[in-house]
Amino acid sequence: MAGIFPVDVGPQYEGEVIRKADLYVEFGGPNVRSKFELVTLKGLDEVDNEKIEVIGPDMKDMQEGGSYPLGLMIDVAGEKLEKDMEPVLERRIHLYANYIEGLYHMNQRDDIWVRISKDSYNKGLNSLEEIGKILMFLFTSELDVIEKISITFVTDEKKVEELITKAREIYKARDERARGLREEDVEEFYSCALCQSFAPTHICIATPERVANCGAISWFDGRAAYKLDPEGPVQEVKKGDCLDPIRGEYSGCNELAAVKSMGTYNRVYLHSAFEHPHTSCGCFQAIWFYIPEVDAFGLVHRDFAGPTVVGVPFSTMAADTSGGRQVEGFLGMALEYLRSPKFLQADGGIRRCVWMPKEIKEKYRDAIPEDLFDKIATEEDVKNVDELVEFLNRVEHPWVKGEVELPT
Amino acid sequence: MAVTIVVAGKGGVGKTAVAALLIESLSKKGVVLAIDADPSTNLNLALGLPLGETVGKAREDITEAIQKGTLSPTVSKQDVLDMKIREALVESNKIDLLAMGRPEGPGCYCAANHMLRLTIDRLAKSYDYTVIDSEAGMEHISRQTTRDVDVLIIVSDVTIRGIMAAARMKELIKELRTKVGKIVLVVNRSRDGLPQEIQDAIQKYGLELIGVIPEDPYIGELDMKGSPLIELPGESPLRRGVEDIITKLGL
Ligand SMILES: Nc1ncnc2c1ncn2[C@@H]1O[C@H](COP(=O)(O)OP(=O)(O)OP(=O)(O)O)[C@@H](O)[C@H]1O
Ligand SMILES: [Mg+2]
Repeated sequence: MAGIFPVDVGPQYEGEVIRKADLYVEFGGPNVRSKFELVTLKGLDEVDNEKIEVIGPDMKDMQEGGSYPLGLMIDVAGEKLEKDMEPVLERRIHLYANYIEGLYHMNQRDDIWVRISKDSYNKGLNSLEEIGKILMFLFTSELDVIEKISITFVTDEKKVEELITKAREIYKARDERARGLREEDVEEFYSCALCQSFAPTHICIATPERVANCGAISWFDGRAAYKLDPEGPVQEVKKGDCLDPIRGEYSGCNELAAVKSMGTYNRVYLHSAFEHPHTSCGCFQAIWFYIPEVDAFGLVHRDFAGPTVVGVPFSTMAADTSGGRQVEGFLGMALEYLRSPKFLQADGGIRRCVWMPKEIKEKYRDAIPEDLFDKIATEEDVKNVDELVEFLNRVEHPWVKGEVELPT
Repeated sequence: MAVTIVVAGKGGVGKTAVAALLIESLSKKGVVLAIDADPSTNLNLALGLPLGETVGKAREDITEAIQKGTLSPTVSKQDVLDMKIREALVESNKIDLLAMGRPEGPGCYCAANHMLRLTIDRLAKSYDYTVIDSEAGMEHISRQTTRDVDVLIIVSDVTIRGIMAAARMKELIKELRTKVGKIVLVVNRSRDGLPQEIQDAIQKYGLELIGVIPEDPYIGELDMKGSPLIELPGESPLRRGVEDIITKLGL
């Protein structure tokens, strides 16, 4: 690439760190409040192809060693481009920017941090326009689907602040859409064996509708981790055939469970606590437990120290649930799973929940249907199962009244 | 490139002092990532650097965000941690310092710790040297890095107990998942060379003695003034002892 651009460009520069001592200027980072990047899909007639614009001071006008605001906006157009690709293309900024010798880029959205080294500045990477030219070259040469592209760098703080508000709305809308991603929409799930030291036969499965038991590895995290470290503890799982859409049984997950448990389990239901529930390591955030007297479930999280409605605390229950076994009626799970549309759907989901600590009820209020909210007992309402039965009858809990229909 | 050195030993034997001088000497040959793995975070004082946020704080923050469910579903937590760790890095001319801070509380940190190791390992790759000042004890070494350790320097005082502790450490390290290239012993604060009993013990336990650092008369004054240890003069026995170790190790 030498010759076309003032500095070298290529994947060999990924992971290059620019230390403060070698820094010419930086954009964003901890010292700067106003920063963001955004890729927007536009119509073919809306993009002024190959235009690079700098609004505000350019690098030449900046003080050596200084930290400056930055809004990096890339507009793209192309027949084959879809709105859903925006976040993917935006992520490419990180990849391509790091290909540039003496430039280092971190994170995304409204929390970016870009550094340019003295060496590269002195070699001629002394204008945002030069950076724009390289990014444009990489975007168009690596991605055929982009027919038109324009890049705008905004360094004027006020202007960045204005634009950020709009960008944040877009990020939020994207998150909403991501929450709408379904198991049906993807071919791969991710498995995580990070907790193997606690439970050698356990394997966690993360799908777009099921975050790993610890809550730390979502399907998106799985995808990122697998890309970063393909030999690591997070692996791709081909979901295979969907054998039972309600219980969440997939041939790919069954095969994996059989390998991991050395044949002890050859079936796993992702969305049921009965028959073949997902195994539990020791790291789950919460336990979903069966209460036979009411044929319904309670939920308790790790931070809840007191006894649950069935008399035992989280710690006792955890000992029975953990270790990589399938324990019918006991499920280690992430709290975020409460928000999944498939949350234990085969068993009746959240509508079959009759007890949970008040803290969880408040924090995950959005995951509980409004009409159900006051009908789930907490530690403040009942102290034991007798009181629970009485409570449920009094509030006319829909499960107890037989109003909840199980999907078929 | 990217040599990893861990300084370990039982409490109060001079790990931080040796690590600080090692970091300073190595910074004349290349850039150094200094990792303070002691929760009481005092390496920065010895190096004369400010204290940044700790890795422990970053871990708490992300774990809390997971618990509350406030993170964006699409932004990968690894990226968030990468950023937090870079922000926690205290950068100076040739030395960057990262303090590990408090160990985790109850709860599950498997994923967070794994992501942290990846972040720190990738960070360390771009330095010529990574020097880790350990907390007394051993088990944390495997938690800090998935990378192989090139040199483990065990510091001991001039006592049989100190030498025995060093020998135990050497045995323990073999059971850890971390691979260690070379394990050497440094005896610190000697007064008149090494007593015969100590020499015998070192031999008996099969330890490789790489240096003996005499009691340093300059340290008291620096401590009194509250000045960083790296201000020790050229003739300081600690400084000269550490430089000698660097030569012997071929670093
Ligand atoms: N060669 C030496 N001569 C004189 N004093 C020394 C020498 N080496 C270390 N010291 C002093 O001994 C004390 C303990 O040293 P240091 O803090 O380095 O030990 P440590 O092993 O890091 O302790 P900890 O286990 O608490 O982290 C300090 O006050 C230090 O200045
Ligand atoms: Mg110390």
